[in-house]
Amino acid sequence: MGNLDALMHGFTVALTFHHILLMIAGVLLGILVGVLPGLGAPNGVTLLLPLTFSMDPVSAIILLTSTYWGALFGGSTTSILFNIPGEPSSVATTFDGYPMARAGRATEALTYAFMSAGFGALVGVIVITLLSGFVTSFALRFGPPEYFAVYFLAFASFVAFGSGAPLKTIVSICLGFAFGAVGMDSVSGAMRLTFDFNDLIRGISFLVVVIGLFGIGEMLLTLEEGVEFRGASGRLNPREIISAIRRLPRYWVAMLRGSAVGVWMGITPGGPTAASFMSYGLAKRLSKRGANFGKGEPEGVIAPETADHSAGTSAMLPMLALGIPGSATSAVMLGGLMIWGLSPGPMLFVERADFVWGMIASMYLGNVVGVVLVLATVPFFAAMLSVPFTIIGPIIVTVCIVGAWTVAGAPFDLWLVVVFGITGWAMKKLDYPIAPLVLAMVIGDKAEDAFRQSMIMSQGSIGVLWSSPLVGVLSTLAIVLLLVPVFTAWRARRRKGHVEEEVPSE
Amino acid sequence: MLSRLRLELIGCGVVFVLGALAVLGAMEHSIGWADDGPQAGYFPFRLGVVLLVCSVLIALQAMSNRTELAGEQMLSREGARRILGFFLPLIGYVAIAQFLGLYIATALYLLLVTRWIGRHPWRTCIGVAVGVPVVSWLLFEIWFSVPLLKGPVEIWLGLA
Repeated sequence: MGNLDALMHGFTVALTFHHILLMIAGVLLGILVGVLPGLGAPNGVTLLLPLTFSMDPVSAIILLTSTYWGALFGGSTTSILFNIPGEPSSVATTFDGYPMARAGRATEALTYAFMSAGFGALVGVIVITLLSGFVTSFALRFGPPEYFAVYFLAFASFVAFGSGAPLKTIVSICLGFAFGAVGMDSVSGAMRLTFDFNDLIRGISFLVVVIGLFGIGEMLLTLEEGVEFRGASGRLNPREIISAIRRLPRYWVAMLRGSAVGVWMGITPGGPTAASFMSYGLAKRLSKRGANFGKGEPEGVIAPETADHSAGTSAMLPMLALGIPGSATSAVMLGGLMIWGLSPGPMLFVERADFVWGMIASMYLGNVVGVVLVLATVPFFAAMLSVPFTIIGPIIVTVCIVGAWTVAGAPFDLWLVVVFGITGWAMKKLDYPIAPLVLAMVIGDKAEDAFRQSMIMSQGSIGVLWSSPLVGVLSTLAIVLLLVPVFTAWRARRRKGHVEEEVPSE
Repeated sequence: MLSRLRLELIGCGVVFVLGALAVLGAMEHSIGWADDGPQAGYFPFRLGVVLLVCSVLIALQAMSNRTELAGEQMLSREGARRILGFFLPLIGYVAIAQFLGLYIATALYLLLVTRWIGRHPWRTCIGVAVGVPVVSWLLFEIWFSVPLLKGPVEIWLGLA
């Protein structure tokens, strides 16, 4: 079955009344989550996940992915109107979006942001549609060594391209693996790292960790700085929307460049945050109007927004086809797939084609629905931020705590949320990247299994990672990537005084 | 109040302790190799060692930059006050939830925080403190049929 036929079939799955309703609900919840500080996309999806345990997987993934798109849109809204990024990945949007809003061009800035974000997302989905057949047929040849090499490659690229210092990224990855290892070992049945605590036998749920790190951690950061919502009005003028849409094609170079950066960063696990910064930086350097950046230049809104959304959507490709999520949010969704009893990887395309293509079709629709809904509801959500933070903040806290309870119904998990909350705050302060930790927790077991199986195949020889051209290329590439930071450190020492710009971690 | 240097070193300390725990926990099992491949302790042991090494390296890096990092403030007195004002009620919330269940704890927490930290009028505080648990009840118990943690009060009211 060709990809197009499969996609058409997917549309028949996604285009039911029930699913469109879920899509709308997801997008609206997502916008809410994205607008509120302290409730980002990873956290919002995590809080919803326990409620989907009893749903069928297609409905569940449509709800969760739509929430994700909504959260991305919502994050840009507060960036532009209030200079407060609702999402780490929309930080770059504040650089030019907020100046535009201050200059009375809020409608224009929001329209550019949403339309270019929608464009980026569509490019991402089209790339997924075209590439998935290829990636899957490629991945179907994978055995345990290949899988281990791919996991290795994913983590190596975090170390090489990630936002944190390489050593800190390694610490995050290892901590994630270690937290993931707590509980029963899936191979031998041994109780690992439980230290005879009954509450640890179940293991530590990555969902609880995400709620702590992202939810409470984010909240601590927001509170410490003391938030004030002072910003432009969220009222939109329909005529200005139309005229901004008409002017949009002028920025096609920025949009295409942003999408390309986003797709690349989404498929390799760079994530939307890094993508949006990279795209902004590139646009500033390459654009004719580069000098206006930071003063309210539309291109400075369009570039990071397209990259942000195309990275967010294209991160779904490695998640589905290889079981490697390209962002923290898709890591949570990957965990969801496993909870719903699906095993991500190339076989998913064969065995559960309805699920995969239903999801991809819903991504086309969800983003169109998203753009329309967000344009229609911005004034409402912006008005919500006039409720004082001393009321919204505590309510968000109760949502996080209740959400942590719904994961497993364990009182102990509530304490874990508190502990990981303070951990999340400290990690943000010290620039330890959080996404690799979540990723390692989610795929830790699978990576370890793949490693053990390949070692059994080769009777303990590490040479199995170079036993065929395919796995050899993957492993060599991973090792090269691990050496990148060593090389850059060496080069930086030769060129003293050269300070690299830092990108905040996701 | 809290310099970056100090926070970096605290962070390294925590990572070191976690690494040591991973090593110790792994030692409860076989950390080596048997006929059926790497044993249960193999992976955690090596993770622990990597954590120990990295924590020492990060600490050394921080110390070599110490003058610069010591001057960088991470947490002001004002910020610390705000964080504690948020964090202590949160701990109380979780502690109370263990005994009285989530509904009562949520109501008490919201009432306390909105009134004493937010200084909103009683009407608003009570509205929020009653509204959120009621909405949660409708959402979780009725709509999604996910029971939340309940305590003696719900049992006494015949709701659990």
